[in-house]
Amino acid sequence: MRKVLLVAADEWRFWRRSRLAMLALGLLLLLVAASATLTALRMSSEAQARSQLQTDAEETYRSQPDRHPHRMVHYGHYVFRTPPPLAMIDPGVDPVTGQSIFLEGHRQNAAMFADAKAGATAGQMADMSPAAVLSLFAPLLLIAMGYSVMTREREAGTLGPLLAQGLSPLTLVAGKWLALASVAGLTLLPLMLTAAAAISKGESISATAVFAGSYGLYLLVWCTLVVAVSSLATRRAGALTILVVVWILLALIIPRFAANVAASAAPAQGKIEADFEVLSELRSMGDGHNAADPAFEQLKTNLLLQYGVASIEDLPVNFRGVVAQTAEADLTAVLNRFAEERMATEIHQVSLLRSFGWISPTLALREASMTSAGTGVEAHHKFLRDAEAVRFDFVQGLNRVHAEQLAYADDINRSSDPEAERRTRVSSENWKALEDFDFVPPPSGARVEGALTPLGKLGAWFALLFGLVLLSARGLKP
Amino acid sequence: MSLVLRLFRELRFLLRQRAVAGLLVLAMLLSALSVTTGLAEIAHQRMTLERMILADKADRDGALAKAEDWGSAAYSSFHLTYLPPSDLAFAAMGQRDASPWKHRIHMLALEGQIHAADTANPELALAGRIDFAFIVSVLAPLLVILLLHDLRAGERAAGRHDLLIATAGQSGRLWPIRASALIATLAVCLLLPFWVGAALAGTQLAKVLAVSLLVCIHLLFWAAVSYWAGARAAAGSVILTGLIGFWLLLTAILPAITRVSIERAISIPAGGDIVLTQREAVNDAWDLPKNVTMEAFGARHPEWENYTQVSRPFEWKWYYAFQQVGDQTAEALSTTYREGIRERDQAAALAAFSSPPALVDRALQGLAGTDTRAALAYDASVRDFHTRLRTWYYPKLFRDEPFEPAALSALPVYQPRDERD
Repeated sequence: MRKVLLVAADEWRFWRRSRLAMLALGLLLLLVAASATLTALRMSSEAQARSQLQTDAEETYRSQPDRHPHRMVHYGHYVFRTPPPLAMIDPGVDPVTGQSIFLEGHRQNAAMFADAKAGATAGQMADMSPAAVLSLFAPLLLIAMGYSVMTREREAGTLGPLLAQGLSPLTLVAGKWLALASVAGLTLLPLMLTAAAAISKGESISATAVFAGSYGLYLLVWCTLVVAVSSLATRRAGALTILVVVWILLALIIPRFAANVAASAAPAQGKIEADFEVLSELRSMGDGHNAADPAFEQLKTNLLLQYGVASIEDLPVNFRGVVAQTAEADLTAVLNRFAEERMATEIHQVSLLRSFGWISPTLALREASMTSAGTGVEAHHKFLRDAEAVRFDFVQGLNRVHAEQLAYADDINRSSDPEAERRTRVSSENWKALEDFDFVPPPSGARVEGALTPLGKLGAWFALLFGLVLLSARGLKP
Repeated sequence: MSLVLRLFRELRFLLRQRAVAGLLVLAMLLSALSVTTGLAEIAHQRMTLERMILADKADRDGALAKAEDWGSAAYSSFHLTYLPPSDLAFAAMGQRDASPWKHRIHMLALEGQIHAADTANPELALAGRIDFAFIVSVLAPLLVILLLHDLRAGERAAGRHDLLIATAGQSGRLWPIRASALIATLAVCLLLPFWVGAALAGTQLAKVLAVSLLVCIHLLFWAAVSYWAGARAAAGSVILTGLIGFWLLLTAILPAITRVSIERAISIPAGGDIVLTQREAVNDAWDLPKNVTMEAFGARHPEWENYTQVSRPFEWKWYYAFQQVGDQTAEALSTTYREGIRERDQAAALAAFSSPPALVDRALQGLAGTDTRAALAYDASVRDFHTRLRTWYYPKLFRDEPFEPAALSALPVYQPRDERD
């Protein structure tokens, strides 16, 4: 072990003398630190702004004057997706999905206002979250500093003497690997600091550990790859060229290629197109605004029977409100079916995309990172489902008020009789029933579990490359 | 020996090197891949639009057949608006992934409708895609660097450098000829699939030439940088490290810095504020005395000032008047929002001069009509169309004209702007 440390220390001595290595290291550390600071500032101000907007939206809703309850159904409500703490490092899909949804009766609206649409376009590589810097550019640093760890000894003719002095090839390779791993550790420092900040903001320790661990494992995969290529290659220039090409393929090409494949292998309908089908299905159902719609004939018969009265005027509940409740429930069932289908298609596409993680560790890391941080597509789907639950609750709550607190006679005459109209306005106290919404990502247990598969992919990469290093060490010849 | 012959001799020699041939094949494969998937995506978008145009018409006809008056006709009939992909969109998808290119709108307040996003799977959008613009702007520089960095260092390491210089006759011309042969071949490898794709897509010749020129200039820039760096008497690997660092600086770091600074310097109103303002205005109208709404409406439409009497608790003309007033209330915010996006885009256009890859990417998007300007122009065309709808219905609503279903066949039809305008 002492020898391993000696080899590693010697490698560091070499790096410290190399201006290029120090420059590259300094530049990348600066980059990680700058992007960590900027992204942390941006995401925490976003989180603050959005929870403020959420509170405002709730207060505005609750402070509405006395009204007909159905007016509040159309007045609607807003929910905002506040980013989870680890979004400070990996904002995930946040910039490409809308952050707020308008909730109203009879409709499921799409999330609005994605940052990406309003941003300045500056080429295809301008995303600089710490997640992007670490997954794309930290491997480049490891390549730049590590391609020559073994080939240099070979080219300089020092490999022979080293081995002749009784240094085992394995110790030599292990020392070089350790030196490179310590570089990886250095680049992870800013991430560790931000992760600690995330824990202090209430992120679970297990999810944070898995999150940070996946970055650690990812960089170790690259360290191992670099050492493997460096010991197998005969010349420095060859090793570097091979590593750069491998980086281009694994980090730049395959993730995008996977997205191309996923999109064309499992094409998803846009929302507007899918809505044609939704609309035609909804048209075959009753219109909840029209209690005379023949679709509600059965409901009417049942109610009359239940209360033992002869006409809807005699019912103890407002028939129109009951119709609104039933229609909303039926319509929501249809909307949810389509929404679930849509989400299933997205999950299918994403699982296709992620299966490429077996051949690109960068993709595997992205999956592990977004899943454990709660900024991936699953978390966004949870937001959509949570928002729908809020929508359904407040709309049905209002419909219940409509059924129970309003006289049917007033309700049908409110368009012609101003007095009846006044009586249909229910107290604003009813609006206070709106529940607070505070978006939380899936529970940490589920996130950790979701990250296990991509961690397995990274683990497989690591095991494979580790074996390759062992093999190359055994066959190490001057 | 003539220059052309020497060029070919060098090329034959270079292609015999496995690494060089491999990189060139890779370039051609990736370019072909980007063009193929780009064409497939555009075909998919066009087919989607064709289906939607039919479904939209059928849906509208069905809704209009059930309409009982002008107001309910306007309420229940939606109109598809869209921005079809241009003949070059296959090469640069640009903003089509982030900004909506189709909306279905009706005559209610537009601000509540136009911001809806019909975006694809967010995780796919995040991964990005391999389009020709990506190949040209991000990848091509790396290929140039890999091909040219060890032009001399490689020969030096192989021990042939001095021999070559001594036997090459005019030694000064050996390296430029080798470099030119490599870059010309790379350009052909990248452009050949694009030309085939452009022929299939029926791209305008002028655009094809412009793209080809852009690709060549970009390659030449990186060739010059790599050639200059390669002339230094350093090991090939050191030169390569330096060049990749430079690529990183120009391709990722500078664009990221300019993007962050532009977005900080030019702030835009939160989108949520626009729709909130609009919703408050529309909803408040139900509780306000009707003449307040009608006066605000009349201020913008003096031609209907004499028709703004509302006597019943509900009248369609009042309903649509407060929809319009809702848009009017949010107008300032909405204009600032769009102006902000435009300003950011203009600033980014200027800042792109610090990064050739960003410049090339933006130029390709511009040629393909997939840039922010095109997205804003589409937004404007939707607004125009919405105004036409209002102008069509207002006389009927305000003069209380008797409902004539037959007249609905003369409803305005959305026409996408010709991209060549």
